[in-house]
Amino acid sequence: MRLVALLLCVFAFACLAMATGRQQEAVFGRTLAVAASRGFRCAGWGALLVALRLTVTDQGWALGLVGYSGSTSVAAGIVYGALVARERWLAAGDRKR
Amino acid sequence: MSAAFERVRRAGPVTARIVAAVFGGYALGALASVAALALPVSAPQAVVTGMLASFVVYAGAVIWVFLARSARRAWAGLLIVAVPLAWAAWSAGGTLR
Amino acid sequence: MKRTRDAKPPGRGVRQSMADLHTWAGLLAGWMLYAMFLTGTVSYFKDEISQWMRPELAYQRVSPDAATAAQRVSDTLGTIAADSSQWLITLPTARSNVASVFWRVPHPQPGKPAYGLAAFDPSTGRRLAVRDTLGGEFFLRFHYQFYYVPAMWGRWFAGVCAMFMLVAIISGVITHKKIFVDFFTFRWGKGQRSWLDAHNALSVFGLPFHLMITYTGLVTLMTMYMPWGAHVALTTPARQQAFDMQLSSFMAPGERAGVKAALAPVDAMVREGEARWGRDNVASVLVMNPGDANARVVVTRGAAARVSTSPQYLLFDGASGKLLDVEERVGAAAQTRGVLYALHMGRFGDLQLRWLYFLVSLGGTAMVGTGLVMWTVKRRQKLPDSERPHFGFRVVERLNIASIAGLSIAMTSFLWANRLLPAALAARASLEVDVFFAAWVTALLYALVRPARRAWVELLWLAAALLALLPVLNALTTTRPFWRSVADGDWVYAGFDLMMWALAALHAALAVRASRHRPRAKAVRGRGAVALPHQEDA
Repeated sequence: MRLVALLLCVFAFACLAMATGRQQEAVFGRTLAVAASRGFRCAGWGALLVALRLTVTDQGWALGLVGYSGSTSVAAGIVYGALVARERWLAAGDRKR
Repeated sequence: MSAAFERVRRAGPVTARIVAAVFGGYALGALASVAALALPVSAPQAVVTGMLASFVVYAGAVIWVFLARSARRAWAGLLIVAVPLAWAAWSAGGTLR
Repeated sequence: MKRTRDAKPPGRGVRQSMADLHTWAGLLAGWMLYAMFLTGTVSYFKDEISQWMRPELAYQRVSPDAATAAQRVSDTLGTIAADSSQWLITLPTARSNVASVFWRVPHPQPGKPAYGLAAFDPSTGRRLAVRDTLGGEFFLRFHYQFYYVPAMWGRWFAGVCAMFMLVAIISGVITHKKIFVDFFTFRWGKGQRSWLDAHNALSVFGLPFHLMITYTGLVTLMTMYMPWGAHVALTTPARQQAFDMQLSSFMAPGERAGVKAALAPVDAMVREGEARWGRDNVASVLVMNPGDANARVVVTRGAAARVSTSPQYLLFDGASGKLLDVEERVGAAAQTRGVLYALHMGRFGDLQLRWLYFLVSLGGTAMVGTGLVMWTVKRRQKLPDSERPHFGFRVVERLNIASIAGLSIAMTSFLWANRLLPAALAARASLEVDVFFAAWVTALLYALVRPARRAWVELLWLAAALLALLPVLNALTTTRPFWRSVADGDWVYAGFDLMMWALAALHAALAVRASRHRPRAKAVRGRGAVALPHQEDA
């Protein structure tokens, strides 16, 4: 259950990242339509809420909030790190050409 | 030596702020912790509440001191907040004895 | 650097003054905060570290029966501290394989401490005959009261550092308040930016944790830092006692009756606690005036499954064994304080939650470290002559090396000393601590005599080597090498060895990056370079 919540948070932050112009350019090569950005944002926040609900149902409010706080921190870190790693990998590829 | 004197003079406002932040902030936090005794709860709970709140007041005071537009305003702000706290602390101290 | 003139426009001035405040607060307390953060981080696994530091005690697959352990220890105390007014037995748990005991010495010799403190074997009830060591408790104690200085001074100093941290967090948030909005629109890769990004990222991810851990840290020692309300309101001993009971079940021993009466069976009392709170969830047994007709015994609930340290306990008549009182509630403010205290200690969760705490706390440590290094990186670019930095810069640079790389060396040396110092040596426990500080001072001296960049690289490599070789030392000096631990399913020891290798790899990676560092005014590394903690951009 914890793992499911963590994965949901990772998905959520990935969506929230994709809702920003800079990441859209980095990943898709262009900024997307406003509707697409909004869609990503809804998916992101929605996933965060579902993860919260799951965690609290599973562990109660006290432990649940603590665990949720940890999950969001770690998930944000994972997504951030993945985006950074991807850019570096691409940059290394560019340099080789 | 007027150059050294100039430096000392210019350090005045900074020093005043540092004193206000470090000592004035602590005093304000301490005052708040005594003022909490005026709350309509039992003495042990009021004491605990005062302690919990005092650090928030101290930190807030430090931030205020460095946000204020001048050292004078910084001190004035602390003193203005201190007045109602002192009044509450005074009346609380009176009823408890 | 302080903005004291009235001339600036409000908006820009706010960010600038908060940025200055953040830099000063972070710099002045940063070295101590780094040490507090790192020792606090490892303290989440202090029981496991203590197990590792007592290799003579076999791996316990099942936690010892707390009730039997309590009875046996109590019997032993009845022979060595019979006239004592107070015994406190902290029971073994699934993670801690010793009973930690505190007792008051009834007639202390002048110059000798008025109390005893020792680890007892839960299966025999006797004092441990294994190597004398503080174990993981050393890191915890250092974390909030440092060492060598009187405890009160150490705690005050820790409190001052914590206030600096709190101010640094708040001013950091105000300065970069747009970072929440711009979180994923980071820039990276160029010169000092990668440091800024690493520091910002670590700060933002862990912000709920950092803010919570700093504030709750102050709360744990709040009665010492802000005693004024208590001074004014708690004017009688009865009021003081009522207040104390809201915070802790550690009560003062009452009056002796002067009539001898044997202590009732303690194991029955512990079992009653287990019936209420669950097996393995009785934290401690406090015996007051044992052997007297007015003896009292307090059995306190453990930390599991409850996010609060507010006292929940059973009070027994020590002579008859009768249950006198059950305390399970405290007032609202005290309950709030209990929750905050528990959040800081992080003992309420299971292993997964503990790992989360550890990881985010490690991130906090890296946050402080990257902040300190970032200061030198930024300043170096502004130096008129980077070969001859001014005195303040040099001080910061050397202290950074000593307090970051040096601390890793010191902590690992402490563990090396545990394996190398002869078991029968007198005052062995304090000698281990002396080695910790000697190593730290040596690292500082090394950092002062070597060129700064070389010192970073060499000390980081030294730390990596000490960490990597520790499991080898363990294999050579004990009967618990890595392969044996894995075969036995002893994941405390096996996990410890793995962690040492992981940390060694981390330090080696940092050493490699540091050795590739070329300080430049306009560093261009290529897109996407983000620094790991401690590392300067290559």
